Amino acid sequence: MAVSWLRQLAARSCVPVYPVWGEHDEALLATLVLSTQIELVDSPRHASVLLVVGEIPATLRDGLKHVHDQLPSPFAVVWFRGAPLIALNAPIHVDEADRLVDTLIRTHRELMLGQRDSASRLLPDEPPNPWEGLGDDGHGGEGMMGGTPYGRPMAMNMQDDLRDGLTLDSLTFRLGPFYPALPSGLCAEITLQGDVIQSWETRHGALPQRLAPVFYAARERPVPIAELELARARYHLVQLYRGLHLAGLERIARHALSLARQLSTASRLDGLRRQLVRSGIFHLAAMDGGQLDTEMAARLGGPAARAAGLDADLRMDDASYQRLGFRPQCRTDGTVRARWEQRLAEIDQSLQLARQAEPDGLHTANTEAVETPRGPWSAKPPQDASALLDQLLPGLEWDEAMTLIASLDSREVAETSGRANI
Amino acid sequence: MIESLASLLMVLVVLALGPYVVAVMDRLVATAPRGALASDVWLGPLSRAAWLLTQHANATEAPDWQAWRLAPALYLALAAVGLALVPWSPTLIATDLVTSVVLWGSVEALATVVIFLHGWSANAVLPLIGAYRYVALGLSYILISMFVLIGAALPAESLQLTQVVASQESLWNVVRQPLGLPLFLVVGLGLTFWGPLNLADSTDLAGGTAAEVSGPSRLVWECARAVMLVAFSGIAATAFLGGWLGPWLPGPVWVLLKTLFVLALLLWLGQWLPRVAPERCVTLMWIVLLPLSFVDLVWAGVLALWA
Amino acid sequence: MEHSIFVDIAFLLLAVLAVVAGWRVFRTDSMVRASFFLLVSFIAVGAIMMLLAAEYLGVAMFFMMAVEMMVMALFMVMFMMNPAGLNPMMMVHQHRLSIIAGAVAFFILAAMALFSSFPADPLPAGLDPVRSLGHEMLGDSMLIFESAGIVLLATMIGVVVLSSHRGRYGAAEEGSVPPGLEPGGDPAGQPEKGESEGGHEHHHHHH
Repeated sequence: MAVSWLRQLAARSCVPVYPVWGEHDEALLATLVLSTQIELVDSPRHASVLLVVGEIPATLRDGLKHVHDQLPSPFAVVWFRGAPLIALNAPIHVDEADRLVDTLIRTHRELMLGQRDSASRLLPDEPPNPWEGLGDDGHGGEGMMGGTPYGRPMAMNMQDDLRDGLTLDSLTFRLGPFYPALPSGLCAEITLQGDVIQSWETRHGALPQRLAPVFYAARERPVPIAELELARARYHLVQLYRGLHLAGLERIARHALSLARQLSTASRLDGLRRQLVRSGIFHLAAMDGGQLDTEMAARLGGPAARAAGLDADLRMDDASYQRLGFRPQCRTDGTVRARWEQRLAEIDQSLQLARQAEPDGLHTANTEAVETPRGPWSAKPPQDASALLDQLLPGLEWDEAMTLIASLDSREVAETSGRANI
Repeated sequence: MIESLASLLMVLVVLALGPYVVAVMDRLVATAPRGALASDVWLGPLSRAAWLLTQHANATEAPDWQAWRLAPALYLALAAVGLALVPWSPTLIATDLVTSVVLWGSVEALATVVIFLHGWSANAVLPLIGAYRYVALGLSYILISMFVLIGAALPAESLQLTQVVASQESLWNVVRQPLGLPLFLVVGLGLTFWGPLNLADSTDLAGGTAAEVSGPSRLVWECARAVMLVAFSGIAATAFLGGWLGPWLPGPVWVLLKTLFVLALLLWLGQWLPRVAPERCVTLMWIVLLPLSFVDLVWAGVLALWA
Repeated sequence: MEHSIFVDIAFLLLAVLAVVAGWRVFRTDSMVRASFFLLVSFIAVGAIMMLLAAEYLGVAMFFMMAVEMMVMALFMVMFMMNPAGLNPMMMVHQHRLSIIAGAVAFFILAAMALFSSFPADPLPAGLDPVRSLGHEMLGDSMLIFESAGIVLLATMIGVVVLSSHRGRYGAAEEGSVPPGLEPGGDPAGQPEKGESEGGHEHHHHHH
């Protein structure tokens, strides 16, 4: 039974999971990342289990099918709090967060031991464009270059180069809606020359995000400031995790996330900040770009606006916060670095406010206007600002662009807290 | 005859054990300060390898199949050539060419080709970007590597690694040429696109050249990367840390210890440094590190004339 | 110096590899593949040189050709109208001329191989090929090699200066464009923009 021991061993491996995030709350991310039995991977090719979290809107179902079919067999799909696509038979469905990790592990085990068949493909396995090559080499047509063998014409320098006049061939492709370095749902048509982005057209905005329930509660009744500020710090730490994961600093990223999970008024940011400074990320990563002008910053609101020097924070209008002596912190230059420094400063400030408010059990006073960690929510919640990327990204190198996107929180905030309340 | 067989065996053993050692050490380095040691550290790499062997290799739209399947194997072969160049003792060495330093240089140059090919042949966007990016990095570190290695060869007055070790009898190159080893470590990170210099298989490209690879070919690719890391550490230990030289213990044990030391250093750097932005990386290489490697070479030359 | 049968076998295999890879250069449909087949061919030749005891030149061939072919593939892909070299394309053209040139070159080389008398000059015992090559290059022929070296170095520095961010005509990000021939005129040395591609935007006006 030579195969059998190999499969036994494979069944014990860490479960490589490719997550597709629909509507969800961020606590789930920490559960998955910090589990020693689960490994979240960046490419569907590297996964054994596809995890679909929450409901996927109908507009993105095709994208989901494409991701689904990219997993190499044997693979399985686990649906968490969302209806499975109709095309699938015998779907694995989980509703409780504490059962999720176990289900993922069990599914992987069953796959490896052959107790479960690999999921079937949803789309036909054929090239997107029919083969149109002619001749021996398929070059076809006239001259050296010929026809359109893969349905793609030869690139003909459609755009003048943005930077140095060195016109290279442009490469146009579509990325998203479930690319891990982009917010979930964001889909864009991108043209590259080399690895410089020539144009970026957002085709589908990011999915709305659900904040912690306390932010929704704060719009209905006074809530304890300590709780609200801890939730805010937690939110920023999760954002920090995403940025650090992208920067390849996996261990500090996990540190940020475990700090978020155990966050209390006694928590300190110093250790994490020290690790970050020592790693040199502020100097080595591409953090000088991504400058927002005042108009863009105002449109985004929240930490991004304050990092660009806008002194706007709804907490200033709240009598309880005024009693705590709250003053918003600002940066001036609005770059990627300023946004990360702003986030770190705001985590520190939130912890400080939580510590001050906790002994008296101070509650918020203003329920009309709440400053969410994403931005101000007075009349309506912060709106999707993915379209800003179309202006910001052209001219940047790929790595700079991805670093910028990670630093820029452009997602819409959902109106209601959804299932997290139930 | 027996010695050459033994040295060949040595290469095969390192080839087989290298990936496991690298995986375990990397996990140990990652969890070191908090000591959250699980049995996973020891069994994890094996079960992961078993999983990759169970997984099917996927296809992309019209890839260059030959190059796509060959690239990981070729990278592994280059790593094996590197291992064969490491002298374990004055006589225990698989390939004792008079130009072994230059042969190592060509391993580095050919690695660039193979890594490019791995990304290019998948016929997919993200691997392709990774591949092109790697070429920019590869062309930058090769010059640094060349100057630093010539510096190490100067006191030996030979391009043979055994002679390079012999020349360190009185003083190791790491002391004699203080710039040499730090610069060479940068080359090592580049050669294996590890940690801060992981521009080819990076997270912003969802795995870069390996983004579209699954199953056994991914396993070979990862093993090749690990073996290359070990081979590089062996060469660095030979060229700068005096190879088999050392008191009390037999030569091969010293080589092993020094190799593991360099390996641990590289893994530690990989865990603690963020990925350097490609543009900044190339600027750093050409404007800071390349002139520094000139300085290293001039330093080595002046010392060699003096002696 | 006697050599073993293995050297003969290795020579034959490498020679076949060199020729077959060279032939594939012209039969493949992609510039990248063509460059790397050429690289394989050169590596086989380098290994043959090592069999001929030219240890330094053989190994130098490996790394020189690896870097050279890599750069060549990259530049061809960058400047030819083929996205990343992934679409198939015809690698041979001007058939008649190349057939004639190839045939002539083959006959000349074959004639040289057949009709010239090669010296039977066995390697002296204890020859150190690296040292003797060094003496050759830095002895009598030093002037030639040094001047070639200086020329190459100057070329390298020139290329780096021209292609760096702070290019000849200003910083690359700000669009480095050569100045006009007369003050305020169109940038010099730019390709003439045809009327057919008038559809998309241009940075500068001209009529």
